[in-house]
Amino acid sequence: MDLIILLVIIAVFAGGILFFKLPAGVALAAAALAGAIAAGEYFPVRHFVEGTFGFLDPVMIIAAAMIFMKTVEATGALGTLSYNMMKYLHGYPTILMILITLFIMFPGMLTGLSSTCILTTGALVVPGLIAMGMPRPAVGALLAIASVLGMIAPPINIPVMIIGGGVDMPYIGFELPLLIATMPAALFTALYFRFRYLKTFDITEVLAQMPHPVHDRHGYKLYIPLVFVVGAMILLRVFPEYIPDVGIPFIFIIGALLGFGTGEKFNFLVVSQKAIRESAGIIAILIGVGMLVQIMTLTGVRGSIAVNALNVPVEYIYIVIILLMPAFGSAYAAASILGVPLVFVFLGHNEIIITAALSLLAGIGDMMPPPSFLCVFASKMTGVDNHYQILGKSVIPILFIMLSGVLMMLFSSEINSLIQAIPFGRPY
Amino acid sequence: MNNGTSKNPILLLLIVVILCAYSSIEFLGMRKPDLLIPSKSLTAIKKLSNYFKGMKNTSADSDIYFFDSGKPGGTVLLLGGTHPNEPAGFITAVVLLEQLKCEEGRVIIIPQACLSGFTCTDPLEGYPSSFTVKGKYGDRKFRFGSRVANPLDQWPDPLVYQHYPSGQKLSNFESRNLNRCYPGNPEGSLMQQTAYAILQLIRSENVDVAFDLHEAAPEIPIINAIVAHEKARDVAGMAVLNLEFEDLKYALEISPVRFRGLSHREWGDSTTVFPFLMETSNPIQGRLRGVTNEKLVLYGTDQNYKKALESGKLRIEYLVSGEPLKLRVGRHLQAFLAVLSAFNELNPDKHITVSKVPGYHDLMINGVGFYLN
Repeated sequence: MDLIILLVIIAVFAGGILFFKLPAGVALAAAALAGAIAAGEYFPVRHFVEGTFGFLDPVMIIAAAMIFMKTVEATGALGTLSYNMMKYLHGYPTILMILITLFIMFPGMLTGLSSTCILTTGALVVPGLIAMGMPRPAVGALLAIASVLGMIAPPINIPVMIIGGGVDMPYIGFELPLLIATMPAALFTALYFRFRYLKTFDITEVLAQMPHPVHDRHGYKLYIPLVFVVGAMILLRVFPEYIPDVGIPFIFIIGALLGFGTGEKFNFLVVSQKAIRESAGIIAILIGVGMLVQIMTLTGVRGSIAVNALNVPVEYIYIVIILLMPAFGSAYAAASILGVPLVFVFLGHNEIIITAALSLLAGIGDMMPPPSFLCVFASKMTGVDNHYQILGKSVIPILFIMLSGVLMMLFSSEINSLIQAIPFGRPY
Repeated sequence: MNNGTSKNPILLLLIVVILCAYSSIEFLGMRKPDLLIPSKSLTAIKKLSNYFKGMKNTSADSDIYFFDSGKPGGTVLLLGGTHPNEPAGFITAVVLLEQLKCEEGRVIIIPQACLSGFTCTDPLEGYPSSFTVKGKYGDRKFRFGSRVANPLDQWPDPLVYQHYPSGQKLSNFESRNLNRCYPGNPEGSLMQQTAYAILQLIRSENVDVAFDLHEAAPEIPIINAIVAHEKARDVAGMAVLNLEFEDLKYALEISPVRFRGLSHREWGDSTTVFPFLMETSNPIQGRLRGVTNEKLVLYGTDQNYKKALESGKLRIEYLVSGEPLKLRVGRHLQAFLAVLSAFNELNPDKHITVSKVPGYHDLMINGVGFYLN
């Protein structure tokens, strides 16, 4: 029965996209409705509505962050920063790519949210990378992969916290395992995109194609909104006892409002409308995914996927993990639904290393269809029409990440011994 | 890619408004208080705001039921509904307060410790909003709530929840989890204030023994267990032995020192009370569960857990015949009686004696409804 419901859901979603050309969010909602009908639940209104609230926080963050980004773009701050980054670092392309990758990851490391990477630091580097001749889908892929790694890298990793909440494991001692999980992958990603896609370029031509810097006209006040947003996120992490946590969306909105008078003139209403229009698609996807997950849980399909994954023969468990963890299409959903029982499957191994590795694999879910929400966002930022092109350019780094995750799980005890040997590596 | 906008936004908006209005009737219905009918032995009803004024007029100001024998002895506190999506804890407290007679000492019951969490369910979990128990005197409907406080009462969640005062980090929604907020903070969030009020109650009422009743997914290792603070180890050990005589197997777990914010850890560290947390196995809490509905709450039968048990991949505490509500409530009641008995034996000057409390076997024969007024 669960298989029939699942097939109905997949068929309606795929049919909605391919034949009826529905927006992905609407196709997901239609799939949820079809799943409910197939399960005999018919039209459970409360569950449909409740499901739409499942990703309320990310929806608010995305909307607010888009308004912020459109504001700093309108003030000229975004273009000026990208221009200067190219101007001063173009002579060292390998170092530049490593720094750019870490730079994109930075907001995710602080907030634990992959979307903030694409929307803040990611947006800053896009014009420069495109001007350097990197194909737009490759730029999008770099953004998406670095965002996943930023979300997983320490100090904040929300999938680990979700798994920890399910198995009563406090968030202690994860810094080094998460660095081990993410930094080799970050380095590989930077070098892969550097040597695969970055050709030699004429810096004068590159700079000529970029937005003209406005620093001379406005001075350092141009950067006030950016400094405020990044500073507020850092201060919230470092001094949580002194700084009231008003929420990330509110920080972005204050940052946007601080844009007035710091650079070029802009109409806040027009900028906000443009931001919401551009983010409506991804917001609709998140709402649709929420409805679908709620219906899959209600009808037992979610549980069946999890229990069947756990029931595969032990020799295939790693294959199932690398295929199924990302397939949830959301890092948080994968961490909650599969991550928690998988920690119990691996009892006897080092739970901290296992959880760190599982979070890495779950993180890829943010790129995967049906929502593919990091790819969708990256496509918006880079002007790529088909976000699957971005997913396509990400395959090699994704395989590297999967390999890293599996190796960490296979050698969890050895990695733990290594960490214990480092004086500051011990969690307690 | 289509940006998701419609060619006919008015029609779309109208559909959304109708759906929201329709569903809001059910959501608002969750604000209706549950009917509880205390036994004749009830001597007083107070509120958490009697112990911390900051709780007054908040949606978390829960009722506290007092049963005072008028005879000297110890005082026991029992919390149900710390997690309103764990119905056996709540219903055990209801059965107790509807049946109990206190013969020595005092019994204090807070059946809905996280009252705010009873006003909503968790998005993405597909939970029913209520369940109905067929009672001796008619059907009794109870709310099935959320693990954490309603976001309408405490929001936004912080970026990362840092426990007060230890600074231990947990995922952000745990800031709304009462059982991660002890010892509480009078200046803090609603759940920190609730935790603080409960601690104040324990202190000012000189509570000797305290219970926090829970349920957990069958795959969680701490299941069918009593978790005790280290100072209550002897009482818990004796209780587990007593329970073995009733053919009930319990694991004894000592409260982890490094995991902060939990009732059994912080109550024990901050006061003189002997704290105990008890867990039963409930498939509806689990991530492997199948169809999620009221039947699963009441009968606890789930094909997915049967499959997981048979595969042997996970250590699963699940009976093939199911984990019905009567079994889970019966276990909690029997364990409560066993701990009290052990406490009385080791503390003869603080006897707490109760009568008319059904045990595990009574529940298994008569069901839960038989013990509801």
